[in-house]
Amino acid sequence: MSRWVILGVLALAALAVGVMVGPADVAGGAALQALLGRGDDITVGIVRQLRAPRALLAFGVGGSLAVTGAVLQALVRNPLADPYLLGLSGGAGLGAVLAIALGLGGAWAVPAAAAIGAVVAVALVYRLAVVAGAVLDTRVLLLGGVVVGAFCAALVGAVLALSPADQLRNALLWLLGGFDGASWPALGVFAAYAAIPLAVLYRASRPLDLLSLGEEPARFLGADVEPLKRTVYLAASVLTAAAVAVSGIIGFVGLVVPHAIRMLWGHSHRSLLPAAFLLGGALLAGADAVARVAFAPLSLPVGVVTAVVGVPVFALLLRKWAS
Amino acid sequence: MRSSASARAALIVAVLAGACTADPRPADPPVARRVVSLAPSLTELLFAIGAGERVVGRTRWCDYPPAALDIPSVGEGIGFDPEAVAGRGPDLVALYPAASNRTAATRLAAMGIRTVELRTDSLDQLAPAARTLGRLTGYARAADSVARAFEALLDSARAAPRPAAPPSVLVLAWDNPPIVIGGGSFQSELVALAGGANAFGDLPQPSAPVSVEAIAARDPDVVLVSDSTVPDWTRRPEWRVVRAVRERRFVFIHGSDFARPTFRALDAVRRLRAALEAVPR
Repeated sequence: MSRWVILGVLALAALAVGVMVGPADVAGGAALQALLGRGDDITVGIVRQLRAPRALLAFGVGGSLAVTGAVLQALVRNPLADPYLLGLSGGAGLGAVLAIALGLGGAWAVPAAAAIGAVVAVALVYRLAVVAGAVLDTRVLLLGGVVVGAFCAALVGAVLALSPADQLRNALLWLLGGFDGASWPALGVFAAYAAIPLAVLYRASRPLDLLSLGEEPARFLGADVEPLKRTVYLAASVLTAAAVAVSGIIGFVGLVVPHAIRMLWGHSHRSLLPAAFLLGGALLAGADAVARVAFAPLSLPVGVVTAVVGVPVFALLLRKWAS
Repeated sequence: MRSSASARAALIVAVLAGACTADPRPADPPVARRVVSLAPSLTELLFAIGAGERVVGRTRWCDYPPAALDIPSVGEGIGFDPEAVAGRGPDLVALYPAASNRTAATRLAAMGIRTVELRTDSLDQLAPAARTLGRLTGYARAADSVARAFEALLDSARAAPRPAAPPSVLVLAWDNPPIVIGGGSFQSELVALAGGANAFGDLPQPSAPVSVEAIAARDPDVVLVSDSTVPDWTRRPEWRVVRAVRERRFVFIHGSDFARPTFRALDAVRRLRAALEAVPR
């Protein structure tokens, strides 16, 4: 029980930090006042329209990436699996870079193109991995994801090589990921797309426990393996596509958070998934706050912060776990 | 005001003169007759000093003066292809000293092709760059008079009285992630010469990534848009927090005279000054 309290406090603390700090000189109590609508226009706007949705979006994306990583690691039974392994990041990156290079209009063109690219890549990998009518071969899923990702990365490279220099830098920055596009509508769109896959994955947590033992044992123990694999893969894909659309490609969280929870907590998906959501969310919301203030007014790519903070912690965990 | 007008007239005369006559006496090293220019600003300088007819290769970005478009392109100027450049048979290659140009420049040197590296990041570097190009192409006198006219014009623009409370101007290079123009860019000086103050002029970098929050907190008076229409990002909800965006206080300045440092910079300043004065405060 106390573990949940610690995680809950960590999550709330990360969200609070996200609202209370930033490059603008509005901190602590003043920020909380502004959250309640007290203060001048600019201060209230900064806290209510920028910091609050940004902290919540970072939390939601971090949590979703961690959950996706956890279920994909179980699905393909490979500890290196992460949300971007299955060709998704390549497809999303290609969509976004094409939208930037072609100068597609509209305020939501780049996120929409990223989501479409991700869905196309996922469909392609899925089609490769479905053999004999209905059987989803997870080995093909893994390899198909890698090659589709590599193919997309090659096309991204070609588009970047042929684009003007300033667009090139901007597209590269977009690929690094971040929450500069955060707003209440963006959070709403993300929540609408993330809610169902999250619920589906949580409902699949018992059969996922069986699946992580291997497909044969899972079948013997009564899991309906083929529908389960398809459902989990599609839910994870939708969840990642939603995350990519609002934040670009943020690595590390989806790979490492599930492992950290397993080391500290054990393998049952019923607790692994919610715990990964809370820790992933706290990590990304906290990292985004650090990215905004560490060198203010300059901002760092959030992926840089998650890795710089997360890798040493994870390395310590690995040593502890190995000994 | 009068001195600036006369200096402008002198610049125009000098450019015309440069365009008409080459120096009779070539400078010390053999005069370059076939020049490949690997930066749009250098191409403009070569034409401004009257050496346009010597330019046999340009980058795909060199679009001014219009006559430059008739010259074959060798592709990129940063990270250029030495084979494409050598294929134009140049005896001089003018390039920007970027790290990614080093290796290719060495390859040209190995082929016996002379290179000159010229930095044109600020307005102060333009006149010396023009003089160097003039010396190398045999247009030293024309280059010197164009350079001198520009320097006089620049001095008088700098000496012009500044408004007591200049409007703060957000110069945005990109919207997501937001990248602003910092004090290290010549565009910051263009804004200052036009009677404004770059909202992020305190940053030493030419450009830097910041958050929308940092922009909202600085609360700029106007947003400079290097486009001819209101861009799409201004309709995104997170940008509505920035007051100047919400109140649609945009200043449009579209054109290569603002995008790159050239002798036309003061035209951009004049247009920008007029645009800034038209914005209600």
